[in-house]
Amino acid sequence: MTDPHAPALVCQNVSVTYGPVTALEAVSTAFDAGLIHAVVGQNGAGKTTFARVASGLVRPSGGHVAINGHVMRGGNVSAARAAGVELVHQSFALPPSFTVAEAMEFGATGAGRFFTRSSLFARWRPHLESLDISVDLGARIRDLPVETQQGIEIARALVTQAKVLILDEPTAVLSPSGIEKLFERVRRLKAQGVTVLLILHKIREVLAIADTVTVLRAGRLVEGPLMTTDVDGERLSRLIIGDASRGLAAVDAQALTGAGTVEHGPTDAKPVTAAPVLKLSSITTFGDPEGPALQDVDFEVRPGEIVGIAGVEGNGQRTLVRLIADFAKASRGGVYLGGHDINTQPLAQRRSKGLRIIPFERNTEGLSLSSSLWENWTARALLEKPLLRLVNPALLRSECDAALKAWGVRYDNVAQKAGALSGGNAQKVILSREIDRDAKLIIAAQPTRGLDIGATAFVWDALRQARDRGCGIILISSDLDELFDISDRVNVMLAGRIVGTFTAPYDMNAVGAAMIGAS
Amino acid sequence: MNDIIIAVLRSGTPLVYVTLAGVIAQRAGIWNLGLEGLMIIGACATILGIVVTGSITLALLIAIFFAVLASILLWFVVEKLKANPIIAGLGLTGLGLGGTALAIQSFFGSQSAVNAPFGLPRLGPAFGVYGVLSILVVLMPVVVFALWFLLCRTRFGLQLSACGEHPFAARSVGLNPSMMRLIALSIGGVPAALGGAELAAGSLQFFGQNMTAGRGFMAFAAVIFGAAHPIGATLAAMFFSVLSAIGIRAQLVFGDRVPHDLIQALPYLATVFGLWLSSRLRGGTNGAVTEIRDN
Repeated sequence: MTDPHAPALVCQNVSVTYGPVTALEAVSTAFDAGLIHAVVGQNGAGKTTFARVASGLVRPSGGHVAINGHVMRGGNVSAARAAGVELVHQSFALPPSFTVAEAMEFGATGAGRFFTRSSLFARWRPHLESLDISVDLGARIRDLPVETQQGIEIARALVTQAKVLILDEPTAVLSPSGIEKLFERVRRLKAQGVTVLLILHKIREVLAIADTVTVLRAGRLVEGPLMTTDVDGERLSRLIIGDASRGLAAVDAQALTGAGTVEHGPTDAKPVTAAPVLKLSSITTFGDPEGPALQDVDFEVRPGEIVGIAGVEGNGQRTLVRLIADFAKASRGGVYLGGHDINTQPLAQRRSKGLRIIPFERNTEGLSLSSSLWENWTARALLEKPLLRLVNPALLRSECDAALKAWGVRYDNVAQKAGALSGGNAQKVILSREIDRDAKLIIAAQPTRGLDIGATAFVWDALRQARDRGCGIILISSDLDELFDISDRVNVMLAGRIVGTFTAPYDMNAVGAAMIGAS
Repeated sequence: MNDIIIAVLRSGTPLVYVTLAGVIAQRAGIWNLGLEGLMIIGACATILGIVVTGSITLALLIAIFFAVLASILLWFVVEKLKANPIIAGLGLTGLGLGGTALAIQSFFGSQSAVNAPFGLPRLGPAFGVYGVLSILVVLMPVVVFALWFLLCRTRFGLQLSACGEHPFAARSVGLNPSMMRLIALSIGGVPAALGGAELAAGSLQFFGQNMTAGRGFMAFAAVIFGAAHPIGATLAAMFFSVLSAIGIRAQLVFGDRVPHDLIQALPYLATVFGLWLSSRLRGGTNGAVTEIRDN
């Protein structure tokens, strides 16, 4: 028999190591049944690892997890599910080609192993309706908007009678109103007796939804679970940031932890009147494999300003970058870089005119992880040289060495493979390559995703300095706090269109409404 | 007309069986380029089984045993020794081609072909001109349907597809993708063996070195062409067979006026065309057939 007063989930001295890296170190904590618990921390604090250990996906190298008083054998998802723990992943884990009904079925347990299409629909329609998710059960996962996908994920996690539901950064992909809907759903689950663990990184969200909060930093438990009625944003912010808060501007600290309303950060730039460095005039693109086509986009960036692009992911942000980088083609309209029509020019020529890109995918588009640092770094300069021009590797290596040192990259030597660097250091290599003296237009696509607070602040400072030198900068981010802090102007994209332009002081509700097309 | 249908069924049936083996492996996330090897192992084991035991049932069981064993070997090399599945599959093909040649040499001395006293049971005169077809031809639609049901209408089938398309999602619900692949490859050994058996003992009654002549690779092309769907891949395999039947027909009609080699190349050209067409239809993302992700 399980003790009704026992905590729903107990971690006893849990440690996790991945090779030489320690992701969690001797974390002991307990979560009471029937409450909404938040687990917070900066990127790299071990939040996701914590969620995965609790759900049996990762085997702890030390300590154990107990669910409803039963000690779990680590690293066994089936056992954890049988005990009532379910995990909803940050980047969703459903096969994209599955229909909604199939996605429900493949993780189900118990009777009913055969089905017809209609019996499968009949089996899962009541379940989805009980969670208030209205969706065509024959629709494929990959065709669903991200909010619905998350709803399906939660429904998938609840096909068994889950007692403990863990959501790993569920708000990262949602618009503000989507977050509100998610929180309503979570409160309803709590009313049904489900214990909910939310991995979050915005203090504002923690205080809005959670009963208790637990703070992790660098793999260790800092404090918690604390009742949220006993803490305020300022204290939580200090707990999350720790020593790194020294030398951090107050407004940046606030943007980093989402503690309150973010004011636009201080800027030294003069009011911008110069001719635009980038101009898109009524651009419509052909269909693009990585997102919706752009529709009638008018857009310009002037020297010395940071233009933010907000929007729920998958609304044309990638197409915009691909258009400027000559991967997506315009069917109508013009692209002008520094006043020149570049519509028909290849990327190399555009780059020689000062285009620089910090791409979405650091590890696949930004760097070749299996190549050395100096090869990665010199790619920019080599691209602009004639094909048969001789190169001097020794010279390139020493140039690279000097540049990386100037940017404060931590590495052993320039022959090291790029894959050996941490996320923050890898991003610094890209910054050192893309932010050079000849840069005129810098596209920074999710430049701080997955970086810890120190590295994030570094990237922001680098972008601000480039702006103050007169570069035009496009910042694409799904983090509104980040956009509000460092953008001089924010455009909102929805379904391939620019549906709104906002200037400081920013109104989060107005931007959020524009993101989902509500007026 | 009847003779064309018979020719298509005769050349298409072995291809369909082997294609089904490829489909189930593909669904579980393994690009099985060892189909050629599995097919020739099935063909050789069937004929040797008939010669040695004198029983067609035992011969088929022996063929299935060896094809399943070879499939498990592929799984071991790919999943346990972490070899590249493409290279390992090609290795299995080499093993099959070389191993069967070695087998008949060690059984019968230096022969390049072995004749069996009899082949698979035929439908018999009651079916008129179609009486020359073997029972495996009639069984083929049943096997296709059974595999479709298994893959598309059972929870097991969904779990198998999840392991191939999104292993991390599969692990998140407590599945073990590696074990699922072992099961998939083992099941796939059965139709692969039947395909080989039909090739060697369906209309013929002999085994010759390299007698599969690239059919395993054509079957793999059918898997991709058919987007790893049992019905789609079966239709693709039959489409290739129709083309090769037309090719043979064209040789008879045109005689020497059209180069012989060109006509023989038709099915392969059609394969390339078919792959191009299917990737165009799916929006240029052929990788979407099985999207291997593990995070």
